[in-house]
Amino acid sequence: MKKTGLVANYMIALLVILAVNFILPRLMPGNPLQAIYGDEALLAMTPQLQEELVRRFALDRPLAEQLVSYLGTLCRGDLGYSYFYNAPVAGVILDFLPWTLLLTGLALLLSTLFGLFLGIESGYRRGRMLDKVLLGGNMLLGGLPDFFVGILLLLFFGVFLSLAPLAGAMEPYAGHSGLALALDVLRHLALPLAALVIARMTGAYLLTRNTMVATLGSAYILTARAKGCTDSSIRYRHAGRNSLLPAVTATGVQFANLVTGALFIEIVFSYPGMGSLLYKSLLTRDYPLLEGILLLVALSVLLVNFLVDLLYAKLDPRVNYAR
Amino acid sequence: MHVNSWREIKQEGLGRTGIVFIILVVAMGILAPLLTSYQPSGYAGPVFSPPSPRHWLGTNDVGQDIWTHLLYGARTSLAVGCGVGLLSTMLSIVAGGTAALCGGLYDRILMRLVDALIIIPPVIVVILAAAYLRPNTMLLVVLLSALLWPGGARVVRAQTLSLQEKMSVSAARTFGASRRHLLFRHIVPDLGPVLVAIAIQDIRRAVFMEAGLSFLGVSDPSLISWGKMMQQALQFIYLDAWKWWLLPTGLSLAVTVSGFTFVGFALETSLNPRLRREVKHAAS
Repeated sequence: MKKTGLVANYMIALLVILAVNFILPRLMPGNPLQAIYGDEALLAMTPQLQEELVRRFALDRPLAEQLVSYLGTLCRGDLGYSYFYNAPVAGVILDFLPWTLLLTGLALLLSTLFGLFLGIESGYRRGRMLDKVLLGGNMLLGGLPDFFVGILLLLFFGVFLSLAPLAGAMEPYAGHSGLALALDVLRHLALPLAALVIARMTGAYLLTRNTMVATLGSAYILTARAKGCTDSSIRYRHAGRNSLLPAVTATGVQFANLVTGALFIEIVFSYPGMGSLLYKSLLTRDYPLLEGILLLVALSVLLVNFLVDLLYAKLDPRVNYAR
Repeated sequence: MHVNSWREIKQEGLGRTGIVFIILVVAMGILAPLLTSYQPSGYAGPVFSPPSPRHWLGTNDVGQDIWTHLLYGARTSLAVGCGVGLLSTMLSIVAGGTAALCGGLYDRILMRLVDALIIIPPVIVVILAAAYLRPNTMLLVVLLSALLWPGGARVVRAQTLSLQEKMSVSAARTFGASRRHLLFRHIVPDLGPVLVAIAIQDIRRAVFMEAGLSFLGVSDPSLISWGKMMQQALQFIYLDAWKWWLLPTGLSLAVTVSGFTFVGFALETSLNPRLRREVKHAAS
């Protein structure tokens, strides 16, 4: 795909997301402040605060002016005001973001690595016992909703075996530092991370396996075999290497799935990231916070996809020659 | 497409398991009133009673029969899944088919839109929309279909482009067949297995997303749904109730989703010539 076309796609996607964010609250019946903030919030607000908010978001103006002021506030990084936390939305989100970054980043890395490795091994042994077990297992686990995988791990390791902590990202008020702190964080991270990797490994695995099966049929594999290359050399240096590409390009889609999966898994484990924040904003009907979180997640997904698409053209020169 | 997909799905172990799973869940949904003597919304017995002959899976925190909820939850999942499967596939056919048949500027604009919409993570948008609209089943079907059609449209367009080169289509065209006639009489019948694959994929994602939404508590509060049952059960995880409340619900959801995943995978394998059994590879 040409670069301008690529940029255009992402611009349209961005516009659609912004439009949904802008239009939805204003579609609701009643006065816009009520729709944006919800009934409970409105009762809790002082008249001064209400007026201040109406002025800041130009809610008493025609729709076009509202749009301009909406985009203006977004550009300044102002995502609105969370009445539940009594603080600007952007600040609240920043407090919770690091945990989600840690969880999603590690999960992306591990699920891709495991998916590649298992995919190569499984594709090479196509139709044999190990392949059947891996394929069946992956289909089964990948078919489960992420939060159910999380619940199963929580029940087994947390409730049944009492091995892992049931909630949180670290022991509160334990005053750990240095290595003890790192271990504590890791202990709390283990289950959510495992759940996310298990639930989301299937994508990379299936892609790699299928490419592997197709690659193994090509002539240069036969040549390599005829030359007397060892099995492992054929598996990894010849076929495996050429099966990497689809998995790498799928990282973008994979990332979107991982982030949404992380949101749900954090709720199961009460992990203090964006997912738990999202859940709380839904329970308390804190709409500005909700919008802020979802906008940020959507934007990050777009950004990662865009970078992967750019990288793709670099990795596979054939893409540039197409068309 | 000269593949007897149905036969191939039945022959493959995974596909057969999937079909059994789907039949099981459909039976649960359809036979729900026969399999239980309670009403899903009615008070059935003391709260948190453990499983007994009267309550197969015990009762929940307000004394409703969990087995009954499980059965009626299947209805919600299947209704949303099948509704989205139908509507979204229809949208895909219309969008993809007309884009391929008409071509030109219309094709380019529509496909640009598809390319852009495919990047947007549907779960995120649907959470936001559901939080404001609190959708019932109908609205949820429309919402999910609006987000899921682009993937199928791309496939339908590609297939239509190759199918319209066929002699029979050219012949119909010279007889003055309208584009609608071409699409629904000549192209769609040939698309059969591909459309089934698209629909199954849509159903799977819809069931998945409905469960996720109700797990977050943003669907219609009066709806009985597996996702919501799991959300409620998770709050009482310190009680023993998870054994007959949380696990069976999660397993039902897992069986449903895996059923569609397995059938979809078997179908895809039968449609993708490079993955078909007959091909012998250097490794085998």
